[in-house]
Amino acid sequence: MEFVSPEGLRLDGRRPMEMRQIRAEIGAVSRADGSAVFEMGNTKVIAAVYGPREVQNRSQQINDQALVRCEYSMANFSTGDRMRKPKGDSPARCPMFLEASTTIPTILGREGDFKAINRDISGHSPDHGSMHIDAPNASFSGTRSACINAATLALADAGIPMRDLVTSCSAGYLNSTALLDLNYVEDSAGGPDVTVGILPKSDKVTLLQMDAKLPMDTFENVMQLAIEGCKAVATYIREVLLENTKQLEYRRGV
Amino acid sequence: MVGLSVGEKHFIQGGIAQDLRSDGRKRLTYRPISVETGIIPQANGSARVKLGATDVIASVKAELGKPSPFQPDRGKVAIYVDCSPTAAPIFEGRGGEELSAELSAALQRSLLGGKSGTGAGIDLSSLSIVEGKICWDLYIDGLVVSSDGNLLDALGAAIKAALSNTGIPKVNVAASASSDEQPEVDISDEEYLQFDTSGVPVIVTLTKVGRHYIVDATSEEESQMSSALSVSINRLGRICGLTKRGGAGLDPSVILDMTSVAKHVSEQLLNNLESEISAAEACEEES
Repeated sequence: MEFVSPEGLRLDGRRPMEMRQIRAEIGAVSRADGSAVFEMGNTKVIAAVYGPREVQNRSQQINDQALVRCEYSMANFSTGDRMRKPKGDSPARCPMFLEASTTIPTILGREGDFKAINRDISGHSPDHGSMHIDAPNASFSGTRSACINAATLALADAGIPMRDLVTSCSAGYLNSTALLDLNYVEDSAGGPDVTVGILPKSDKVTLLQMDAKLPMDTFENVMQLAIEGCKAVATYIREVLLENTKQLEYRRGV
Repeated sequence: MVGLSVGEKHFIQGGIAQDLRSDGRKRLTYRPISVETGIIPQANGSARVKLGATDVIASVKAELGKPSPFQPDRGKVAIYVDCSPTAAPIFEGRGGEELSAELSAALQRSLLGGKSGTGAGIDLSSLSIVEGKICWDLYIDGLVVSSDGNLLDALGAAIKAALSNTGIPKVNVAASASSDEQPEVDISDEEYLQFDTSGVPVIVTLTKVGRHYIVDATSEEESQMSSALSVSINRLGRICGLTKRGGAGLDPSVILDMTSVAKHVSEQLLNNLESEISAAEACEEES
């Protein structure tokens, strides 16, 4: 199947190095401590942060650090054919859940700033914060990246101090061309799909996942392309956060 | 949600008794409703309704299916509600299941009528394609994104909006089919029929706090309720379903009074909702 036409246009009319349209909204869930909606093309993720609260499961408690817990779920209407799964299906079995829930806590780091939070909230003896990130999707492709971006914004909205933002983007390789930000059709084509998450300020890679095979030099190109995508997302996220802060200042009458 | 102190509880109950609630509303006033339609491109119809801080999304997907042998001339509709963990931390994992099941059952009762299919708010016979063989199955999914009380009304409104936004593809049935085999069906990609929602009811929940009833309770007010009655009423003022929640018993005369109050409130709600839905669809067409 042809994913890139001879004129260099993809199935949805984009050029190989073009990302889909991104849109972010902060504070969508008013009852949460922090929340955000992040859209990449037709993929829409809502993330909400609750906390800090006491750790529910004592065995998971870490004595000098905060515990970040993630829950990821997909809405019934997310995919093309409606998933008729009853809620009884354990979400933990879904591979996406495991990935999403392990990547997001690791990217937030475990030192410095989190200790500060713990000291401030230690009212009762072994009190430790537990943050809750939920991301129910409304669409399918590129969910990992959209989730991570939404989670970053939700955490920023909640006021959790972070060493850096975390942004993510994916890239693939079809018809001998590196393609940035695969959509649903391109993702299901069976070609390689590289997802990268970076800390833009420190320029470090924090998440790197790929399926299928790629020769080494092609892989470097594709990864570089994904990193460029991440940086573009980071620029957009910073603008959104800055605008949000200006609104808050305005409302406070500064 | 943080627990309420005794002082706060008295404040809420006192306010309701004096027809001045904590957010300034009167007992029978709804919060401002905002409707957005067509938010989920993959679904046949979708809508997002915000009622104050309560935020719900409803989507309608239509698939071809076989009608039930007891009702061969009607389509089927299934309603499921999912309480997403973003709405409240207690919904994580399986915490939201009970509430989801309760809401799904209440919506089915209000919109679909009884097991025999009679008295449904949604006209099921319009979903039939070939009697006894092929019909449309509508799957209506609700997602609670943010919860601040009155989920049932918000979901009812969202489902009504999503149904108005639903386009059922036109189907051409191959005429040359013998009576016992499956006829061939051609689903048109281009032509859509708008679903007729003039008969779809709207749900009004009356929450009893002390001796008075309020409409559209926030979650703080709901925590003070003794019982609640949800009535689904259609444009003609006919009651399509009733659900009573809460442990306190209600005198039958109180129930009759509540239903007449609900009927009175529903007229305004229906007008408001329908104008919001048409505004939302006009907005969506422009963009």
